[in-house]
Amino acid sequence: MLNEYAGIVPKGDIILIHRLCKRLKGKNFLHINSTKAGGGVAEILQRMIPFLNELGINARWEVIEGNKDFFDITKKFHNALQGKKEYFTEHMWKYHFEINRQNAERINLDADVVFIHDPQPIPLVIFRHSDKNIWFWRCHIDLSNPRQEVYDHLMRYYENYDAGIFSVSRFAKGAKSLEFIIPPSIDPLSEKNKKLTKREIEDILLSYNIPTDRPMILQVSRFDRFKDPIGVINAYKIVKKYNDCILVLAGSPATDDPEGEVVLEKVKDYASEDPDIFILLLPPFSDKVINALQRAATVVVQKSLKEGFGLTVSEAMWKGKPVIGRAVGGIPLQIIHKVTGFLVHSIEGTAFRIRQFLNNPQMIKEMGEKGREYVRNNFLITRQIRDYLSVWYYMQTQGGSVREV
Amino acid sequence: MIALNDIFVFKRCVTILKSTGKRAKNLKQLRDILKIISKESIYHHTYEYFLKGHIIQYTNDFAQWVGESLEEQSLSEQLSNIDPYSFSDINQLRNKIIKTIQEYMDTFPNLRDVIEGEEFCFNESITIVYPIGIKVRNLAEFLIAIRFIDEGCIYYHFYEARTRLGSGIDDFSMWIEYTLNKKSLAEKIRSIDLFMHDINGIREYIIDVVEEEVKRDMEAIGNVE
Repeated sequence: MLNEYAGIVPKGDIILIHRLCKRLKGKNFLHINSTKAGGGVAEILQRMIPFLNELGINARWEVIEGNKDFFDITKKFHNALQGKKEYFTEHMWKYHFEINRQNAERINLDADVVFIHDPQPIPLVIFRHSDKNIWFWRCHIDLSNPRQEVYDHLMRYYENYDAGIFSVSRFAKGAKSLEFIIPPSIDPLSEKNKKLTKREIEDILLSYNIPTDRPMILQVSRFDRFKDPIGVINAYKIVKKYNDCILVLAGSPATDDPEGEVVLEKVKDYASEDPDIFILLLPPFSDKVINALQRAATVVVQKSLKEGFGLTVSEAMWKGKPVIGRAVGGIPLQIIHKVTGFLVHSIEGTAFRIRQFLNNPQMIKEMGEKGREYVRNNFLITRQIRDYLSVWYYMQTQGGSVREV
Repeated sequence: MIALNDIFVFKRCVTILKSTGKRAKNLKQLRDILKIISKESIYHHTYEYFLKGHIIQYTNDFAQWVGESLEEQSLSEQLSNIDPYSFSDINQLRNKIIKTIQEYMDTFPNLRDVIEGEEFCFNESITIVYPIGIKVRNLAEFLIAIRFIDEGCIYYHFYEARTRLGSGIDDFSMWIEYTLNKKSLAEKIRSIDLFMHDINGIREYIIDVVEEEVKRDMEAIGNVE
């Protein structure tokens, strides 16, 4: 499987993965999160687990089970950690813990290294059987400005972890002495990112009745307030006064996001009078459709107000598309302003940069090429696997900050 | 027969960031944290800057943040002009950075905060070093290798070597001078202004001078025949 990446990803990453896997061979690597589908975490785990198994690591992925009440609570955690005011009762805290306790009975937590992804399963650490293995809390969400009550509550669980991993420096709060920064990644060979023929792209667009006779502006994201789909429509409306184009907003639902439906309805309602706005609620695993949309797009936008990382930016850049993104979460790590795209701070700024691209195909080409190379070196899956294995190796060996492998 | 020590073994390093949890939103906070932050953090934000595919305008993270986020261009230029390799100890480098910031603050005391989200985050790094499976025995082989090795290799042998060896000399020129006995080529490589190139610029420069040398060597063999 690793050999399939030869010639696509940096060769040095493949060599290091091989060397680290040799040293960690036969060890157990457990990942636990809260959804099998939807969002970047599930996407990466789907690919990473078989990949590691093939290299001799016993990698396992478990998903916690919960009912609607549980995911309503954890969605509120998610919102509050990203700064939104939410109300919590004692019962909600207890319920969150109780569902995790039930999951701890069901899931085998024994492994040499355990990665717990995001706040939903964070209490599982209470049920760890040994202090000899290594537990990481892998936080993918924007913690730069959390509501204190929720943050403090979750930190009580976090204290029991050996280390934290965050996607962006700003999200790490220094609550532990060992906090690593590892950005997430995309898989260049996945259904979502692999090459498509012109015919495949056209067929997919046709099946969704999306015209190909005008430039396409695209945002791919869950229908979530923090992704600001209304803001994207407003930017498009400004652009439309000057340049004929279409807007596509596409996203899949996630089982751990009960708010998605409400937001989707609001967006549909807001866009209802414009036939050039296409709102696509795609079923889970619509990766090929998203791939085709990103390849067909003229300009890709990621106008999130808050963002864990915003991997759709790297996805688009990998397809040679320049991206206009708001400077939040991991977006500034991916978009080098004026080199691989534009960082913007307002609806007006978004509109202005879209117009700039629509009127300058050469700029699209140049920035697109630079973006693809930047992603190759920094945001492909092999880099993330390399980093996970590196921190594991670092944690289980003694020495200073430099390790020879 | 070539001795084992004569072979140049290419290695690569990768770094993973480790947060210190400390962050600054203005110059005063930057200066205050610089006084207490670990040597590892100072090292990361200065020497390791070159591993990040740096923007030529800047030569360290502090200068970049001051220029891009605080928009204090004059101070940014002064910070960019600090050569970390001219200090034998990181604390000397630390003091120079603090002094530069302090003098600027004395002249311009009314400084603003950055907008939320653009705070300077102090990090350290862990470094993993490993051989990439390429060994070369002569300049022609070296020329082939240098064309396609990863940027992390060039960083390790060209930038990181200067602090590792403690002599301000890189691995490439050392091997070329002491193993291949090509002092003038080594000096050409050492004369590169390392602040004015990104890693691929360094690669191009080395390719040019080595290629010229290999060509000269081949012509010399031809003349003897």
